[in-house]
Amino acid sequence: MADTRQVVADQQPALDPALTLVAQDAHVTYRVYEDRRAGLRELVSSRGKLRAARAIRAVKGVSFEARAGEVIGVIGANGSGKSTLLQAMAGLLPCTDGAIYARSQPVILGVGAALQPLLSGRRNVELGLLALGASQEQVEEQFDEVVEFSGLEDSIDLPLRTYSSGMKARLHFAIATSIQPDILLIDEALAVGDADFRERSEERIRTLQAHAGTVFIVSHRLSEIQRTCTRVLWLCAGELAADGTPDEVLAQYREWVGRPRNRPPRQQRQQRRRWRRRRQRHRERRLARRQQRRLRRQAGR
Amino acid sequence: MLASFPWRRDATGRATETVGMAAQATLERLGDTPSSADYLRALWGRRQFAIAIAVGEVRSQHMNTALGNVWLVLNPLLQMGVYYLVFGVIIGTDRGVDNFLAFLAVGVFLFHYTQRSIMAGAKSLLKNQGLIRSIQFPRAVLPLATVLAHGLSFLPAAAVMIGIALATGESLHWTWLLLVALFAVQTVFNIGMAFITARMTDRFPDMQNVLPFVFRLLFYMSGVLFLATRYVSAETLVWFQLNPVYAMISTGRGIILEGTLNGVLWLSAGGWAIFALVTGFFVFRAGERDYGRG
Repeated sequence: MADTRQVVADQQPALDPALTLVAQDAHVTYRVYEDRRAGLRELVSSRGKLRAARAIRAVKGVSFEARAGEVIGVIGANGSGKSTLLQAMAGLLPCTDGAIYARSQPVILGVGAALQPLLSGRRNVELGLLALGASQEQVEEQFDEVVEFSGLEDSIDLPLRTYSSGMKARLHFAIATSIQPDILLIDEALAVGDADFRERSEERIRTLQAHAGTVFIVSHRLSEIQRTCTRVLWLCAGELAADGTPDEVLAQYREWVGRPRNRPPRQQRQQRRRWRRRRQRHRERRLARRQQRRLRRQAGR
Repeated sequence: MLASFPWRRDATGRATETVGMAAQATLERLGDTPSSADYLRALWGRRQFAIAIAVGEVRSQHMNTALGNVWLVLNPLLQMGVYYLVFGVIIGTDRGVDNFLAFLAVGVFLFHYTQRSIMAGAKSLLKNQGLIRSIQFPRAVLPLATVLAHGLSFLPAAAVMIGIALATGESLHWTWLLLVALFAVQTVFNIGMAFITARMTDRFPDMQNVLPFVFRLLFYMSGVLFLATRYVSAETLVWFQLNPVYAMISTGRGIILEGTLNGVLWLSAGGWAIFALVTGFFVFRAGERDYGRG
């Protein structure tokens, strides 16, 4: 995999205008506070913070180049760093090492956070478009189109909190794609909504692609990835496991998922060793208990 | 198949390095804070977003109540009633003041405007973590919008304040126009302080527990309930005058109750406002990269 990519990279001209996003050995590490107090030694080394913190290396050295007109699927097991990578691609989590470059500000499909549940759908469409950087004129221009695409004409004046989760997801998708982002990042959004809406959203992704944009889709639905994407990145434990056409990568991924333990080789060996030890301990205990029972029975006689 | 995983991070090292040179020439690096000028420009570009957040907040504030936004007027009125009952009627801190009701109204309302703006502004980053984690925009929009929202909900209170002054025998004068300037100065001060406290609170959420005490102290140190020139010695009064909140409240009282203008107090209030805004902006921008990651 790595070899073919290297050849491709060497062949391309030094200044490729079609490049939309380049990740260059991107690392993202973040600190989370654990739900326990820090031990004395940690307390001394962490300059007196009272809660234990742990550094999570979610993305470890990911490199790839995305070009205009590509729809790139990102797959991987839960916790493999897909969402974190998407956040870094949107510039929301800075890379701790390496860097990600983009032709324009990527838009992540997360306008939901900008919306206010008590306000009507109408005001929320305005709010969402403004959040994505549209001007007041653009909002007026886009408004009808957004409402029509979301199919929420009848409930647009109801407060957002009365919407079902499918309706909300439709609204989010309609808002985020209406401003025609050059680089769109979608995190598990197509799975929601009914069949009709899914079809329309896939069509809209194709439109974005035709307008020489790049779309990234994180999803666990492999059939959807197969249908919509022109290329697939497979993340495994924060590293890029494969990068290629959907057919190639999905076949590899399916094979890997089918394996007994979805762990990289080193961890897998450690795991096996741990289990062997555990089995041994259990066997010893079982034998000991049997021995005791036998002794007790003999004592009873 | 597993053998083909580029587990080591230098597996594609050379290839990406050549691409990297091109990347830096045509593409922009993500996650960097723009220069101050660019940041201001981006902030100006999102002004309508800030206004939309502020209006939305005011709109949804009392939506769950039967009286709705009548509370924007009713709330300050009730507050006045309580303060007047306790300090005007029962304790009697009204020494040296002719129109204590109007005196109290100006003090209480102006103080609460600043207190609420800064306290809410301090929490604005924590409250909007979801937004920060999903959309890229200059984060200064958040404290700014929060102060704007409180500025909007202050307007009904200001109307009540002027109504009380007129009802208790004060008469309109051209100097009352300066109340608009005072409102602007106070808003600028609030925005600046909201920037500073927002960064502090985002880094140390514990600040939320400290701020109420800071404001409690400030409440007594600003002469909200009593005439400072009457109760406090001349040396201590200098410290009152250096206090921006005292300066603003006293300026407002000067305009409404006496129709006089105190140059020192205007200077103190205006100076503090500009100082807070400029410092606040730079302090806030410096932390831009780390917001919402706590």
